Amino acid sequence: MTKTATIMIDDQTYQVPDGINLVDAAKLHGITIPVFCYHPKMESVGMCRMCLVELGSISVNRDTGEPDLNDDGSPVVRWFPKLQTACTQTVRDGTVVRTSTAQVLEARDNILEFILTSHPLDCPICDKGGECPLQNLTMAYGPGRSNFIYDDKLHLDKHVPLGELIYLDRERCIQCARCTRFCDELVGDDVLAFHERGRSLQIVTISDPPFDTKFSGNTTDICPVGALTTADFRFGARPWELDEVPTICPHCPVGCNLSASTRIDRDFGGKKMIKRIMPRQNELVNEIWTCDKGRFGHHHSRAADRLQHPMMRQGGEWVKIDWATAYHQIASKLKKYADSAGFLAGPTLSNEDLWELRQLAELTGDTPRLGVWPAAMTGAGVVAQVGIGVNTRLQDVGPETAILVIASDLEEEAPIWWLQIKQAADRGAAVVVANARETKLDRVTHTVVHYDYGDAVAVLNSFAARARSRRKTSKALLDNRVDGYDDLAAGLKGTRVPFADAADVLLDAENVIVFAGAEGLTLDQHRELMQAAANLLIITGHVGRQNNGLVPVWPGANVQGALDIGFSPETTASLIDEPPAMWFIGGADPAADDSQAAHVLANAEFVVVGAQFMTATAAQADIILPRQSFAEREGTYTNGMRRVQRFYAAQGPVGDALPDWTIYAQIGARLKGPKPPVSAAAVMRAITQHVPRYAGMGYSSLAHVEAQFPDVGGDDLYYGGTAYANHGGLGVQWATDAEDDSARLVVRPAQIEKPEKSGDLCIVPVRLLYDRGPLFEPSDIMHQRVPEPYLELNSQDAAHLSIADGDRVMVTAGEIQIETAARVNGHAPEGVVLWPRRLAHGPAPALFSACSVQKIEE
Amino acid sequence: MNLINGFATTIKHLLERPVTVQYPEQERAVRERFKGRHALKRYDNGLEKCIGCSLCAAACPADAIWVEAAENTDEERYSPGERYAKTYEINMLRCIFCGYCEDACPTEAIVLEHKYRLSFHDRRDAIYTKERLLDPPPAGAPDTPWVTEPGTFDRAIPIMQDPD
Ligand code: SF4
Ligand code: SF4
Ligand code: SF4
Ligand code: SF4
Ligand code: FES
Repeated sequence: MTKTATIMIDDQTYQVPDGINLVDAAKLHGITIPVFCYHPKMESVGMCRMCLVELGSISVNRDTGEPDLNDDGSPVVRWFPKLQTACTQTVRDGTVVRTSTAQVLEARDNILEFILTSHPLDCPICDKGGECPLQNLTMAYGPGRSNFIYDDKLHLDKHVPLGELIYLDRERCIQCARCTRFCDELVGDDVLAFHERGRSLQIVTISDPPFDTKFSGNTTDICPVGALTTADFRFGARPWELDEVPTICPHCPVGCNLSASTRIDRDFGGKKMIKRIMPRQNELVNEIWTCDKGRFGHHHSRAADRLQHPMMRQGGEWVKIDWATAYHQIASKLKKYADSAGFLAGPTLSNEDLWELRQLAELTGDTPRLGVWPAAMTGAGVVAQVGIGVNTRLQDVGPETAILVIASDLEEEAPIWWLQIKQAADRGAAVVVANARETKLDRVTHTVVHYDYGDAVAVLNSFAARARSRRKTSKALLDNRVDGYDDLAAGLKGTRVPFADAADVLLDAENVIVFAGAEGLTLDQHRELMQAAANLLIITGHVGRQNNGLVPVWPGANVQGALDIGFSPETTASLIDEPPAMWFIGGADPAADDSQAAHVLANAEFVVVGAQFMTATAAQADIILPRQSFAEREGTYTNGMRRVQRFYAAQGPVGDALPDWTIYAQIGARLKGPKPPVSAAAVMRAITQHVPRYAGMGYSSLAHVEAQFPDVGGDDLYYGGTAYANHGGLGVQWATDAEDDSARLVVRPAQIEKPEKSGDLCIVPVRLLYDRGPLFEPSDIMHQRVPEPYLELNSQDAAHLSIADGDRVMVTAGEIQIETAARVNGHAPEGVVLWPRRLAHGPAPALFSACSVQKIEE
Repeated sequence: MNLINGFATTIKHLLERPVTVQYPEQERAVRERFKGRHALKRYDNGLEKCIGCSLCAAACPADAIWVEAAENTDEERYSPGERYAKTYEINMLRCIFCGYCEDACPTEAIVLEHKYRLSFHDRRDAIYTKERLLDPPPAGAPDTPWVTEPGTFDRAIPIMQDPD
């Protein structure tokens, strides 16, 4: 229980948590203290003085400790002689404020008049107009007219690009420093700053390339005026004309809650289209933030080259067919190939799609082969045991918690988690970053472990061994609930502990969270990594509680859902090793990722591909099924923290495309399957009945919302910004075995067999946030941020090959040969060539395949 | 008696000049403040006044107006400042000629004028597009879009005067 303080606001007594900010304390009880520069997610600076209040404290008799009383029995209040800024005060017992006296109202009026001296009265053309804190507070507290002379207004530049994504209107800026503080303090990217002083004070970008952060869009939400606007939305509509549709980002495992601002548009055939994407508050997931990929990467949903009709290959030509023909053809093929069909689900298939795909597959045989793509990470069983505790809030994590991030470049793979961990580190959480190379997260901590590629499992094993030797194991858990500990203990005996400091950071913390990626790991190794992480968490007792447990950094938005519904990466591997005669692929593009998969598909007898675009995989299909994007349909995704979240139909339909679940159910109906369900909700109902962990996840429970703090949207724009209040549901997180006291937990020794590296130089593919994947490439607005294809070399290796940073090189790895740029920037370990996936079109070579790099002389 | 009164009235009116006019051959002048079909106005130099702010649409009680805005550039400029109306439509079957749009407009771009001949053979013809609403450029002024010098038209709303 946190301590409470008794305070008085406007002559009423309230209980609030001791030591919190006065503005927040008032807000908790629905009392408005208007602010511009203060933001509940940031430290206060007291720059705008909008929050002036009368402040005092109850005078206490020093001898008795009792409050002094006036003659009428009311407590004596010692008032500050002048108004004070509420945002710079923390509350304690006896704090007294008055927020609406004549003096306070006059001060607000004066401050607003002052702020407006050079404000341009641009409201009619300002993107913020209609949801602008300055507009609202002026209407509520401002003067009806100004004493200042219009002719004296300063006229400043209006269309100043801060990079290609965000525009600054210098006249509108009220110099509250929310944007600069967001970048400096919350994100830690040195990209925006104030320049000059006094009336020349202006926001400038100080990075090259300009405004170089993955979170730039958030500044436009918290800017209390229309000084910062996005290039994406600019003049797209007025805020009151937009219809806000709750949605979920389809790009990464964080599963940010977003709001699609939609409006019908002549250019989109008079259908509803997404005009902009805004964050939607979910304090358990993305708080009020989103990364720029989620915000600006929505254009794929209405890209001109989206597949519009089912198509069939006839003699090397694509022929348009109708759905009935497509269903019929596929059904007869499935009947023909029955047991030798393989099913592959992509990372953006919703749970409903996955379920119907499984139903369809089960009509073809009793044990259908259900694979998931990308097949880079595994560990469904481990997550079911020791996944992160229900209701973990990363934003509450502080000094009592240690966070280990292993084998992941988190900023590129799950940016919002990166942001939250960075802030946790600022609050004192101990962060351990373990990877074979430097990543951006290294900056937030002193505890960095750089192992050799292939040693990730060994590192975790050594941590577990250290836990044993330091007797940091949890006896209660080991004695009562854990199977296999003796084997594990035997296996750990004599393990060397090369990074003892890092191990101790984890072992000495009260809570431990592990984020595990798969960089530089084969699928088999990754299974061991997940087990090793589980071993560490289980024997130290860091499971089954809030702020403890394992978070897999899955390679996609709904990989967790696919595993939950019975798809597995091991099956994918077996599908590639022993290929089926017929492939049924939904929303996956293996041919673009993996040359072996491309090869296997080319030799298959019949390939059905559900896709949004003519991807490399679709190009190999015999029948193409146009699937709807996340924008046009409903569904649910399960994020990396196992939270099942709903998204809603935001955009009008494109061509004949249908949601995947409908397609699969229709084909199933032609295979003597049940009648197709009528809605996504009905599919989810079936899931709740058959998948035990999803039992409580009907659409109405997923749509449940609760009041969240801080208040955003609505009347409180001035406070939290224009992130949207959550009306679509907070989602439901399923509980792990560890949370059920009667469930057994299993540990086993994790094998540390290293895969063979071949040759002097070998390739490690890595993931980038901004790539040329089919769902991101159509967002032209982001093109400047997607680097030209490159690979990274170690300086030693580069020196041997006489390659300098920026040289053009020819890389040969097996059959793959590609010309690209070389970067020599100190990130790649010796002997390793880092190969960012999906920058160039065409598959990346397999992990650790040997390569040769040659400089191309100009 | 009543009968005589009644006939007297009839006879009196029989002898008066009729007030009916032979519309459509003949058109009657309307009052200065008559609110008829809208027009989108231009500045004297020919630039469009409308900045695509949608305030008229917001004010319209009949939801008759549809505005889609876009950004001016110096290579393709329709109005002063950054924003112009890419699409501007009024559905005359919905409009109740209340003039709220005119009141709401910050640039006096939309004005209800004196034209009142509004009949259509097709429902779609009742939707007046920007091309139909926009006044032609004043004599000698070039039609929009313009190519302009950077920095010449950077303000959407003409710089205000002190209201006193
Ligand atoms: S640009 Fe916006 S957020 Fe930044 S200082 Fe100006 S008003 Fe504040
Ligand atoms: S962090 Fe991930 S889920 Fe969130 S907006 Fe970015 S890509 Fe989407
Ligand atoms: S005159 Fe009235 S009803 Fe007609 S378009 Fe204008 S605001 Fe709407
Ligand atoms: S006519 Fe006036 S109110 Fe309507 S969009 Fe144009 S400028 Fe705005
Ligand atoms: S000074 Fe308190 S909100 Fe700005």
